[in-house]
Amino acid sequence: MKSISRRALSLYFLVLLFLAGVGLLYFNLMTHADEWAMNRANRHLYFDGALATAGDILDTDGNVLVTTENGVRVYNDNKNLRIGTLHILGDSDGFIASGVQTMFKDELTGYTILDGVYNLKRYGKGNDITLTLNSAVCEAAYKAMGKNRGTVAVMNYETGDIICVISTPSYDVRNKPTDISTDETGKYDGVYMNRFISGLYTPGSTFKVITAACAVENIPDIYDRTFECKGKVQIGEGYVICSGNHGKIDFETALNKSCNCAFAEIADELGAEKLSATAERLGFNTQNSYISGRIRCAKSRLDFSDAARLDIGWAGIGQYTTLINPCHMLTVISGIANGGKSPAPNIIKKITSPEGKTVFTPDRTQMTEYFTPDTADEMNALLRSNVKNEYGDWRFPNMDMCGKTGTAEVSDDPDAKPNALFVGYSQLDSMPFAIIVVVENTVYSLNSAVPIATEVMKAVQAEYA
Amino acid sequence: MKKAKGRNVSLAIMLFVLTLFQLTCLFTLYGKADPQYKTDILITFGVYILVEYIYFIGARLLLKRRGFEIELIAFLLTSIGLSITSSVYPDKSVKQLIAVLIGIGGFVFLQWLLRDLNRATALRIPVAVLALGALAFTLVFAGVTNGAKNWIYIGGLSIQPSEIVKVAFIFVGAATLEKLQSNKSLTKYILFAAGCIGALFLMYDFGTALIFFFTFIVISFMRSGDIRTLFLVCTAALMGALLILRFKPYVAKRFMSFGHVWENFDTSGYQQTRTMIYSASGGLFGVGLGNGKLRDIFAATEDLVFGVVCEEFGMITAGAILLSYVAMLVYSIRHSKYARSTFYAISACAAAALMLFQAALNVFGVNDIIPLTGVTLPFISRGGSSIMCCWMLLAFIKAVDRSTYRYGGVRQ
Repeated sequence: MKSISRRALSLYFLVLLFLAGVGLLYFNLMTHADEWAMNRANRHLYFDGALATAGDILDTDGNVLVTTENGVRVYNDNKNLRIGTLHILGDSDGFIASGVQTMFKDELTGYTILDGVYNLKRYGKGNDITLTLNSAVCEAAYKAMGKNRGTVAVMNYETGDIICVISTPSYDVRNKPTDISTDETGKYDGVYMNRFISGLYTPGSTFKVITAACAVENIPDIYDRTFECKGKVQIGEGYVICSGNHGKIDFETALNKSCNCAFAEIADELGAEKLSATAERLGFNTQNSYISGRIRCAKSRLDFSDAARLDIGWAGIGQYTTLINPCHMLTVISGIANGGKSPAPNIIKKITSPEGKTVFTPDRTQMTEYFTPDTADEMNALLRSNVKNEYGDWRFPNMDMCGKTGTAEVSDDPDAKPNALFVGYSQLDSMPFAIIVVVENTVYSLNSAVPIATEVMKAVQAEYA
Repeated sequence: MKKAKGRNVSLAIMLFVLTLFQLTCLFTLYGKADPQYKTDILITFGVYILVEYIYFIGARLLLKRRGFEIELIAFLLTSIGLSITSSVYPDKSVKQLIAVLIGIGGFVFLQWLLRDLNRATALRIPVAVLALGALAFTLVFAGVTNGAKNWIYIGGLSIQPSEIVKVAFIFVGAATLEKLQSNKSLTKYILFAAGCIGALFLMYDFGTALIFFFTFIVISFMRSGDIRTLFLVCTAALMGALLILRFKPYVAKRFMSFGHVWENFDTSGYQQTRTMIYSASGGLFGVGLGNGKLRDIFAATEDLVFGVVCEEFGMITAGAILLSYVAMLVYSIRHSKYARSTFYAISACAAAALMLFQAALNVFGVNDIIPLTGVTLPFISRGGSSIMCCWMLLAFIKAVDRSTYRYGGVRQ
């Protein structure tokens, strides 16, 4: 009997094994529950593979952008708004991975590990999400983009609230083109990508903002320098070509005219080390921007590891291998606008539970110190000078606009059309907004990106100023 | 006397809580049920709760029993299973109830039978013959369901003899070894076990064969304590298993998807991924009985029932169920020290270990922690043969507790 009971004790080993299995099972459940519950096969949340039961998404004024009616996601009736906000909202089928509907599924469905999808069962929907988007500005931006490809975004540089994000090409979710997956003409290239979030572009002359900031920080007498522009300048083994023949100019005029000769020389003087130090401090190579702490943007890149002197000259004017992410660039320009501190980009204004309780509001105090207040002040003056003395305040009436254009060569093919960019912001207290416009394969930026920026900023002015 | 009184009170409280739970399930089910099944559900739960009270009051007042932990667990688990069955298949609720009642009857009968060990062990040969006969009969006359040839249809009833044979398997094993502690009796038992497991193999019911094999190992180990022999047996079995995988590709296919269920989302990983998706959907407290979606998936109330529990009752209840199987084995191990004879110790431990092992195969299988074998979850899964088997196995666990018979008057 004794031996039997002793052997029985060894059955505790089975108990331990079983408990280990239970532990693993619950560990898996706790760590993956979220991902599993959000699976498209989950018929609590999806119908025919499309998100069917989720809370509403509203714009900053409480207008409904997406809602659920009879188990189907219904988008706003305004067609331009619908198409314009497609990428930031995301589609019901989840093709647009960076959209709010995909990234904030948990919140929209009200899923929590504690209650599972119970709230959905109880209220028929999850939480409502109020975005920081302004519908009027979004619509204006979509119209202004017209048939162009690219992206427009506007952000409050004091709070980080994004009031407009447009990415084109886009499509109407109510009437999704049938040739979208079969098309070979390229008209839908990157249609499921939000270019503002996932795009990486050659910055062109917009990068001169960063080169200039680096110069202001590192060359004490930069304002006393004069530069000689003869249409091209020799740097190391070759030449950097300028868009004009600017003659003898000072630093400020060089930025106004976007003189490649001057900036290639400045970059050459600064050298790879200082330029990359500034760029990396601003997040190049090191940090992804996150919108509302969750939507991860592509990381801007700058790589001088194999760069010759000439390459650094080209990099100083935003060519070479440097790539910027539009969202990141918008935060950099916001840093200048906001006295050196850049707010974290934010798309969520609040999240409201089905009972009407506000369950989330963003922390708008998170700032990244990109520049010292002095550098920011100087850059602020330089960018204001660009608009005032070069592009013309008539383009942005009564806005005290600052900015920098860029026309980026994207191919060695001389017939290839460049990308046009504009980054800027208004100095007015009443409209503390920064803007980025990227237009792909177009004409010189003053004739492409800037007019779009004008249209959008006018809409911002109408809404806020 | 004081302690006994305390136990008494706790039975009343536990019974009250249990009834409360069952009534909650009943009202939820009743409210949601199709009008034509409302009576069925009322009958199912009414009769079940009534039988439960008759059992407890009878055992307490007539048999003067004290401890009821094991029955409380079983009645609770059974009512969860009954709720899920009644909710998904309201038309089959009464049928399931009948199986439960037969199971409880078997439980009571076996308790009576096991009280007199000489009477019980005398039956070992007829039981062994009957068990092998039943399996042989199944092998010849069974219909093929889901790849396994283990069902017998009599009238409108489908019976899975291998489930009932589980009880006989433990009974014969423990009784043989009790009676004659000689190598001859061990050989006889090995032959019997080989016959049972062989028959299950021929039925392609590998999940049940595995359970039998496991139980055989437990019984042999409890009896002989010979690790080396067991090691040899296991090695031989492993080689046998490899042979099966070689020659039965459909079994191998199951193992292939193990660990890759998300890549085989709509094919061989279908049941596992859906179980995990809907388990997660339930959260800690569940979406409520009748509100789940896993129930629409094939075999939801049988193989995938753990997922239904997670989804509708929540992960906490599901965890409590898993701990119940642990509790039964721990109970058996602890009581085997004071058991009246090796028969009680071995049969109780084997029965509890069998259920724990079967629960592990089921639960860890559908959650992709081990390969999916498609066995039922004891007391919870729908299926008459399965629930009868579980209740009868419970009699072994009950019998190991000396206090079960102490107040009965036959043996002290």
